Amino acid sequence: MTIMVRGLSAERSGRTILYPTDLDIKPGERVGLVGASGSGKSTLGHMLIDTLLAQGHSVAHVPQSPDEALDPLRSMRFHWQEAEQALRLPADTDRRMALFEALRIEGGDLSKRPWGWSRGMQQRFVIAMALLGTPDLLVMDEPTSALDPVVAAQMMALLDDYLAGGSTALMLITHDLGLAARRVSRLMVMDAGRVVEDAPSERLLTAPQTQAAQSLCAHRNWMKLPC
Amino acid sequence: MLTVENVAVRRANTLALEGITLSLAQGRTLAVVGESGAGKSTLIGAILGLVPCAAGEIAWAGEPVRTYRPSLVMQEPRRAFNPRLSLRRSVCEPLVAQGLPRDEARLSRLCQGLEIQPDLLDRLPSQVSIGQAQRVGILRALIASPPLVLFDEPLSALDAVTQKHTARLIAELQSEEGFAALIVTHDLGYAAAYADEIAVLKAGKIVEGGPTAAFIDRPQTEYGKSLRNAAFALGALEQVA
Repeated sequence: MTIMVRGLSAERSGRTILYPTDLDIKPGERVGLVGASGSGKSTLGHMLIDTLLAQGHSVAHVPQSPDEALDPLRSMRFHWQEAEQALRLPADTDRRMALFEALRIEGGDLSKRPWGWSRGMQQRFVIAMALLGTPDLLVMDEPTSALDPVVAAQMMALLDDYLAGGSTALMLITHDLGLAARRVSRLMVMDAGRVVEDAPSERLLTAPQTQAAQSLCAHRNWMKLPC
Repeated sequence: MLTVENVAVRRANTLALEGITLSLAQGRTLAVVGESGAGKSTLIGAILGLVPCAAGEIAWAGEPVRTYRPSLVMQEPRRAFNPRLSLRRSVCEPLVAQGLPRDEARLSRLCQGLEIQPDLLDRLPSQVSIGQAQRVGILRALIASPPLVLFDEPLSALDAVTQKHTARLIAELQSEEGFAALIVTHDLGYAAAYADEIAVLKAGKIVEGGPTAAFIDRPQTEYGKSLRNAAFALGALEQVA
């Protein structure tokens, strides 16, 4: 089902932090929402999720901080069972272990509460929960921010496998254009609460039109090295 | 020159660092890379003398490193300052601590180099952006002209554009001031772009080290290869034909 929202906007303390924004996302489409810190990316993500849930869409969300997803008073097992029940999935140890092994959290003690796990393990646990079902849209907000590079690369490979050929669309929110560039077919650039550019990835990477996109492209990676 | 020879640090009953040997000359940059828990920040603590060594020697020009007052740039810039003091007072703390006079010309030149508007220093840490706070953190680290500056994940709290901009400002000031920089980072892209040498730390041991170009071109260990491959997979480094 194509995602279609109109006029998303947000204010905080009387100040507009997201100007009216329309958004269409096709099934299976991979969209990167990029921009500097404070440009409004996470706000757009939150507003989009709330609107889609109200429309009856299914959405999985990996928030920027696992604190937003995990109840500090509940065990990790409780969170996992709650996620399975919400998706009406039968308990399946093999499926859980396959996801945990792919994300290298198989050693985590499910009887512990979130603070018994490291920050990076908490983030991977939240990612595992998000990959349990097949929602219309998966929103991942800076999913690699608490992960070591080797684990982050493995997680992104797992994400590629998860999305391949499916109908779940992806919105990858990140300040790092280098991370998004190779994984999404479409890039949206945010600046000061507005989507200032929305184009196929290849076009935006080769011919950015706005100052915000040009800055992101110029700082896309640290070095270019010959093969 | 900083010399770290066969250093071990014990935490509880385990060795957090073991057999660490490295050196860093004036004006050069060494990046220590590795995953969380590898011992990177413990190494910084040991060099600063904040963490006792169970074995080995750490020295600058043959004398205890603390004699030379090395400075530290922390990961979380806004938490690095006293929240109730103006940034100007925090910046001048190293001068006060060492009984050095305030050199307004130097302060002004460093502010210019770090793109800090002078009136920014009259604000509290909570009143500036995280990128501005980190540039002020670097200013505080450099104000007393230390020969050695330790950077503990100095860019990880910043967004991608600000990271690269700040890294360039640090490198420009280093070429002017000539301090030795030891950078602890999990970002191999940053290390590849700015370090003369890289040391790979894993589970408290240096498993690989050497000139940056050689490491990026041909890492010798499986872990070194996985770090390099991850940097390409995550877009920190890019291969071009």
